[in-house]
Amino acid sequence: MSTDSTRIDVAETEMTSREAKGKAPLLADPPGQVDRKSRGFMGLRRHAGRGGGYKRGIAIFDFVVRLCTLVAAIAATATMATTDETLPFFTQFFQFQASYDDLPAFQFFVVAMAIACVYLGLSIPLSIVSIIRPHAVAARMLLIFFDLGMVVLTTAAASSAAAIVYLAHVGNSNANWLSICQQFNNFCQRTSGAVVAAFLAMLGFMFLVVLSAVILKKP
Amino acid sequence: MKSGPLEPGGPSRVPPRIHKGNKGVSIMDLVLRAVAIVATLASAVAMGTTNETLPFFNQFIQFRARYNDLPTFTFFVIVNSIVCFYLVLSLPMSIFHIVRSRATFTRVILIFLDSVMLALLTLGASAAAAIVYLAHKGNASANWLAICQQFNNFCQRISGSLIGSFGGILVFIVLILLSAIALCRRP
Repeated sequence: MSTDSTRIDVAETEMTSREAKGKAPLLADPPGQVDRKSRGFMGLRRHAGRGGGYKRGIAIFDFVVRLCTLVAAIAATATMATTDETLPFFTQFFQFQASYDDLPAFQFFVVAMAIACVYLGLSIPLSIVSIIRPHAVAARMLLIFFDLGMVVLTTAAASSAAAIVYLAHVGNSNANWLSICQQFNNFCQRTSGAVVAAFLAMLGFMFLVVLSAVILKKP
Repeated sequence: MKSGPLEPGGPSRVPPRIHKGNKGVSIMDLVLRAVAIVATLASAVAMGTTNETLPFFNQFIQFRARYNDLPTFTFFVIVNSIVCFYLVLSLPMSIFHIVRSRATFTRVILIFLDSVMLALLTLGASAAAAIVYLAHKGNASANWLAICQQFNNFCQRISGSLIGSFGGILVFIVLILLSAIALCRRP
């Protein structure tokens, strides 16, 4: 009699110690009734009733958009940083060489887009962590905070460069600013292309902010 | 938090946490929206009412400066007006969030619209900032003369109107972060 009760006690403590260690119960639970403490490999638990499935899907989409934004940002930086046009003729009054150095708005553009590229490279591991653990709130909040900062930075760089490019194309008769694009064709084309790539990166960042907000939403 | 024996295979029972924090966040959201309305309105008005006429005549230089003369500034005024209008329209939504802290779908929509308006405001403010910088310094390489040396009052007004716009940008960033914080807290 005493041995029977001892055996039962041992079996009970074995069950509770397994639970206490945080391992999955020996018998598989039917989906939808997962105990909160059961964990699988690296936190990939069955989330059937808690919305983890669609959050992981959105996190993967977020990662893909991040890669596309990185490509756009690198294209913008590279195109603007390599603009350098020298005209084959000389004039007494006009500058015969144009590069991005000459205009501080373009210098700011190159610096800001370089910062965006570096940030995107650093945030890719964080995004991967967020895919593996879709309910990690701290990683998402960090991503949304920095993505917001990058939206502002990219938009500032793109729009200030766009204002200067517009001025270079059209000029302004009221301020006596001549349009320089008529001489520097290649320069103007390259800077316009860089501005377009920067606007694409800005759209990518805005999309990332909204995706992070949807992931943060508690279902 | 959870007391009693663990039940393997039973439904998980989490006691609901009563969070009073979301109401505070929503009230701060409303206050910040009001601040942003004032900032963007002030910016639009300050830029829109620029009109400086120089007392002397010259054959080559324009003797009157208005915001109309530069299309970037026109864009700036339009963008600030749009953002101000949007903020006024979003005040009822903000009040609704104070009353009903549980609403998450409307908060996501508000974050989306706020980020669109943030991008628009930054577009206008940065483009105007680039032109204001050019007006102050000029550019020797492109033969663009600094017009601020003649138009002092005009330059001061356009520089000052940028401050309200950039303040509005900061407020928008804080608004979006507040909405994100309110989203990830259980009401």
